Amino acid sequence: MADFLAAYSIQNWLESCPQGYLEDTEFGHTPGESEPEEMLANEVLRQEAVRSTVQLVVGERCALAASSGLINAAPDEGSKRFLATQTLDEARHVEVFTQRLLDLGVRKNDLESVISAHANPNLVKFAEVLLEKVDKKDFIAGVVGQNIVLEGMAFSVFEMMHALNQAMNPKFAHTLAGTIADERRHIGFGENRIGSLIKEHPERKADVEQMQKEMSYYMLATFADAFRNNPAEAEFEKIEQRLQAKGIHAKYNGVDLTSMAPEQMEAVLADTVLKEFKTRLGRIGIEYQSPQRP
Amino acid sequence: MHRASPPVAEDVHELDETAFLEHVHSFEFWFQSVEGYLSGRTFGHRPETADGSPVGAERARLIGVLCNYCVGETAALEGASGLIAIAPNHMAKIFLATQVADEGRHLEVLLHRISDLGVADPEAEVARRASRSLLLFKHRLLELVSSKDWEAAIFAQNVILEALEFAVFQSHARAADPITQEVLTGIVKDERRHIGFGENELGRRLKAAPHIRPRLAQVKKELDHLVFDALAETIQDLGMDASERDRLARAYLGSVERLGFTP
Repeated sequence: MADFLAAYSIQNWLESCPQGYLEDTEFGHTPGESEPEEMLANEVLRQEAVRSTVQLVVGERCALAASSGLINAAPDEGSKRFLATQTLDEARHVEVFTQRLLDLGVRKNDLESVISAHANPNLVKFAEVLLEKVDKKDFIAGVVGQNIVLEGMAFSVFEMMHALNQAMNPKFAHTLAGTIADERRHIGFGENRIGSLIKEHPERKADVEQMQKEMSYYMLATFADAFRNNPAEAEFEKIEQRLQAKGIHAKYNGVDLTSMAPEQMEAVLADTVLKEFKTRLGRIGIEYQSPQRP
Repeated sequence: MHRASPPVAEDVHELDETAFLEHVHSFEFWFQSVEGYLSGRTFGHRPETADGSPVGAERARLIGVLCNYCVGETAALEGASGLIAIAPNHMAKIFLATQVADEGRHLEVLLHRISDLGVADPEAEVARRASRSLLLFKHRLLELVSSKDWEAAIFAQNVILEALEFAVFQSHARAADPITQEVLTGIVKDERRHIGFGENELGRRLKAAPHIRPRLAQVKKELDHLVFDALAETIQDLGMDASERDRLARAYLGSVERLGFTP
C-alpha cells in the first residue's frame, strides 16, 4: 500500500497540479478569457448557465465537506495526506465555479440566495446520503460515495460539458479541463485504496452497495431534471444548428452531441456514468446495484 | 510555478475589508503565496542543498524532535480538516482547505526528513516517541472541534498551536543543519498565514461579541500548561539553554496577547 500511496503524495500533487496544469491560469482558465457575449446578452441562455453552474457549486461543496470530513476517519497517514490535497482541489472547484456565477452576472450579495433557489433537490438528497456516511466517520462508505460515485458522476458530467463548450465557450472549457484532471486523480485513489479495505471488511459490502444504489437514483433524477423540459432548449437548438453549419461537432464518447435531442443526451450521460460505476465498483469487489429509473 | 495576477487590486491593502478578506482567504491567494518558496523544492528543500545532517547522539535527538513536530502537524491537519465542517462561511472553508493542504505537506516533509535521517518506519517512530503533552493537546483540540465550538477550536488551532509551532520552528531553523533549516523555514511561512487568519477571525469576533472572551481565556488556561510542557521537552531535546525556553515562551505568549489574553 505504501508504494501506491507514494504516487498520491503532496509532493506529486504540487508538481502535477499547481506547478503543472494549473500553471498560468486564473480561476482555472487562461487570464483574460471571458464568458461569450452572445450568452451574456441572451437572458434565457444566461439563466440556464447560472442554473447549471449552481449544480456544480452544490456538488463541489459536498465534495469539500466529504473529503475534509474523511481525513479524521482515514486509517493511515498516507490516506490523510492524499485527502488533504483532495480537500484543497475541491475548495478550488468551489471557488472557480462560484467565480463563474459572478462572471455570469450574479451579484455577490445574492450568491447564497441564487444557489438556494436553483439547487436541484435531488442533487441535495444525493449529497445528504454521502454526508451522512461521512458524519458517521465511515471511511469505506465515505470514500466509495465520494471518490467513486460523486467523483465518477462529476468526471462524466464535466467531460460532457467540456465537449459542449469547447467551441462555444473556451473559458469555461478550460476551467472544466483542470477539474477533470483533478477528478481523475481522486477516482484513482478511491479505487486503489478501497479495494484492499473491502477485502479486509467484506461485511461492509451490503451497506456500501445500498448507498451506491440510493445515490445513483438521485443522480439520475438530477439528470432528468436538467435535460427534460429545459427552458433553454430552443436556444440550444439554434446554437447547435449554427455549429453544424460551420462543421463544428461536440464529440463525447463517440457520439455527436450537436445532433442529439436532450433526452438522447441524458441517456448517453446516464449510461456512461452507470457503466463506469459498474466497472470501477467491480474492480474494488463491490457489486453494482441498478437504481430505479426516474 | 508562475501564476497570473488575480483580477483584484494590485495592492491588497487598498481593498476594502470584505474584498481584502475574500482575497486573502482564496485559493488564488494561497497559490501566489506558496509559489515563491515551494517552487523547485522537493520535500521542502532544494535538491542541491548540502547535506550537513548531524550524526550520533545529535542525530537521534533531531529525530526525536522531528517526531514531535509530526505529532503537532497531525493535530493541525486533523484540527483544520474538522474545522471546515463548522466554519461559519464559505470563505473560511476555502481558507481552511488551503491550510489542510499546508498541514498535510508539513507532515509529509517532516516524515520524509526523518526517513532521510535513516529511520526505516517514520510513522512507527513518531508513534513511539510522541510527547504526552502534545498528544493531550491534540486530544483536547479535536474535542473542541467535535463540540462545534468555532471560536474555541480556531483559538486552540490557529492561535495557540500555530503560535507554538511558529516560535519553535523559527528558533530551531536558526541553528539547524541546512536541509532541516529549509524544511522548517518553508513551514514557518505557512504558519504565519495560518496565525494571520486566526487572529483576524477571532479579533473581529471578540470585538463584536466580547462575552466570548472568558470562554477563550479558559481554553488558554487549560492548554497553556500543555504548551509549556511541550516547549520544555523540545528545548531539552534540542540542547538549548533555559534562556531560549523563556524567549520562546514569551514569543508564544506575545501571539496570544495580541488578542488581549494576558498571562
